[in-house]
Amino acid sequence: MQKRKRWDLKSPETKALVDEIVHGTFVKEGTMVAFPACFPGATAQIPADESHITALDVSADGLIYGGTSGRKVHLFVAMFHGVTGLVFDLGWLEGSRRCEAVCCAKNGFVAAVNGPTGGRLIAGKYQPLPFDLIQEWGFSRSPLDDLGEAVKGEDIVHAVADGSGTKIIGTTRSHLFACDLEGKAVKAVAKTRAAGQIVLGPSGHVYGADGKTSLWRYDPRSERLERRWVALPAGRWGDGSPKWAKEAKSGTLYAVDSQGRIFSFDEAKFSKELGHTQVAPVGAMAATFDGRLFGACGSGISRLFCFDPRGGSVRDLGVAVSVIERRRYGYQFGAAAVGRDGEIVLGEDDDLGHVWLYFPKIVPR
Amino acid sequence: MAYETKFYQFTEHPDSDSCWSLSTGPDGRIYASACAEGVPGGVVKLVRYDEEHDRLQYLLDLDEMVDDPRDSGRATQCKIHYSFAPSMHDGVLYMATHLSGPPIDRPAYSPWNSWHDPERCFRGSALLAFDTRKDQVLWWDTLIPKEGCRCIALDEERGMIYAVSYPRDHFIIYDIEKRRRRDFGRIGSINSQAIFTDDRHRVWTSSDYGHLVRYDPEKDSMEMSPYMLPHDLLYQNGFHSVFYDAVRQPGTDCIWAVTWIANPRLVRIRLNEGEWGRVEDLGSTTQGRDLTLPMNTFRDHCGGVAFAGDGQLYYVASRWKDPQYNPMGDDHEEMEGVVTRVNPKTLKREEVTVLRRPGHCAQYVSRGAVDHNGDLFFGHVGPRPVGIFKVEMPPDRKRKDAHLPIRTWG
Repeated sequence: MQKRKRWDLKSPETKALVDEIVHGTFVKEGTMVAFPACFPGATAQIPADESHITALDVSADGLIYGGTSGRKVHLFVAMFHGVTGLVFDLGWLEGSRRCEAVCCAKNGFVAAVNGPTGGRLIAGKYQPLPFDLIQEWGFSRSPLDDLGEAVKGEDIVHAVADGSGTKIIGTTRSHLFACDLEGKAVKAVAKTRAAGQIVLGPSGHVYGADGKTSLWRYDPRSERLERRWVALPAGRWGDGSPKWAKEAKSGTLYAVDSQGRIFSFDEAKFSKELGHTQVAPVGAMAATFDGRLFGACGSGISRLFCFDPRGGSVRDLGVAVSVIERRRYGYQFGAAAVGRDGEIVLGEDDDLGHVWLYFPKIVPR
Repeated sequence: MAYETKFYQFTEHPDSDSCWSLSTGPDGRIYASACAEGVPGGVVKLVRYDEEHDRLQYLLDLDEMVDDPRDSGRATQCKIHYSFAPSMHDGVLYMATHLSGPPIDRPAYSPWNSWHDPERCFRGSALLAFDTRKDQVLWWDTLIPKEGCRCIALDEERGMIYAVSYPRDHFIIYDIEKRRRRDFGRIGSINSQAIFTDDRHRVWTSSDYGHLVRYDPEKDSMEMSPYMLPHDLLYQNGFHSVFYDAVRQPGTDCIWAVTWIANPRLVRIRLNEGEWGRVEDLGSTTQGRDLTLPMNTFRDHCGGVAFAGDGQLYYVASRWKDPQYNPMGDDHEEMEGVVTRVNPKTLKREEVTVLRRPGHCAQYVSRGAVDHNGDLFFGHVGPRPVGIFKVEMPPDRKRKDAHLPIRTWG
């Protein structure tokens, strides 16, 4: 083994390298804000070990709905536009341990929640905008509506709302299920071997992994399931993958495997590998309005990444840190969504998890 | 008349720039960590005060003992932070290593930056059991993979060590007999610099915004108090008001602590009163200053909290020349470490001496302890090679075995 020489601190390269090591570590572009899971100064935070944020979705009016994991699941709404600025705990579910998905549907949100007897769907009402959270306010909690078990005794893996917002489509380890929100009826559609997330495509079809080599396609309108619809590209699938993100304007879907390889999917075929994240696995990702895909990758201390389809490259954005609202490092993220104005919303999957906002760098024209 | 002080420099460890740990061992003697965090490839040496010859003894190099050589290319075993814990029944002094020193061929180290880098990432905090009766290492184990250890506390009765990790600020539980660690999860972003146990086996520390954090083994849960530790309401909001140092008043349930923020507060907590104890704000330990200037952490500081044989509390608080707030004369150093004595009944504070280090200021003290002869010792952080101070207690204020009941946290 080559003997290492002691670094000479008086060498001219020292300052630049120290700067790179110390200051090149944290968010290298854009700005992050960690917002606590409460109304700061007005309510208590969700308890530390009940606040791992593992599910997020954004409603049509730009409010963020989410769910936590830990000793208890809490469902919440977060709002940061206008005279708002809070995370409101909409309620908690005794005995529950993990929230796998929150889906913003037509008339309310639905959470996929796992507990000791398996997965259940829990519906809640949308929260109206408050009057003014600087001046005066009043909040009340509406009861949550238990829509029942997804599939008896089975944990839910993931769920999405369909294009009409009247159905929830989801998976357990061994079933695809559908829930009609108007009839409040949940039924198993077919036996499948689920892995990773599912996604709603722009055509209205839902896609999910059919084992480790292909995707199934399900049409919620006709209730038709097509097995092995398309082959997954070469990669390592399973272990929580694929993870999906959708760019709303173009409808481009992005999938990432458990090694951090990024692909796009046009509902007929996958692209070649577009790039890969610097470390894996990817914890959460979302694509903003200009097509850039942002996410967090790596265990223990995750790093942010950006895939820009224009340049076709994946860049390391460093470790998440917030110096606004709360001074906090962000180590693990369990969910991501795109906010009203294209900001990235990240759910911190950690004790005392915060809702993080990432405002990407604006690229000069 | 001022107490006599003497400085003992770590002359056999010229790289040493900090003495973060100083504790009384189970044998009543003083142990210190000679740390080297500012030089590439720096390592920590275990040092003991040799009272017979009035000198320091260099006992071991931690990198050699835990098989993590200084020239490995990884971040080095450069420190023992607030991580000594004496075990009385078997004469063992537990110690846990910490990170921050650069790999030998790099000028700096960031644990965040190198987390995923197998070549550079710190191997992990090593927990080492040192038999003070035989002067030998009994065993070592990895306490926290990839992370350093900020501070530890020992529950000797139950054979458990509790620790706080850095940088992720996780609470770690280690079962000594089973040699098994458990990561109980994250507290926040800023380490509390102290962790301690109470007579109900509960474990106390603090969070980023100065909330008390308590692990209760009976419930196996970690709770956070709704209250913040005292801070200056004029300009502080609780941020960074974490514990810096804490000591139990012998024979009581009272913890005396100082915080790690500008104008560190002296705090007394009666642990068994009410749900979260009764927290008393006893005021700032340091002088006034220009509040528009963010204060240097190494200038405005208080540490070395210890009870001595006279039943009085001692700590070392910094003071410094300031033309407006403290215009000290030429007979003072630019910055000084003032040894202060507090009467726990009347709360009267009395300056008993100033630490003198030839040629340098000595305003920063990390930890303090009293040895079995009743004298006070303080760990110092400053220009290398650094060292420790001995403060000779006046005969009428010292007693044999003044270190008992012993402090079991770093």
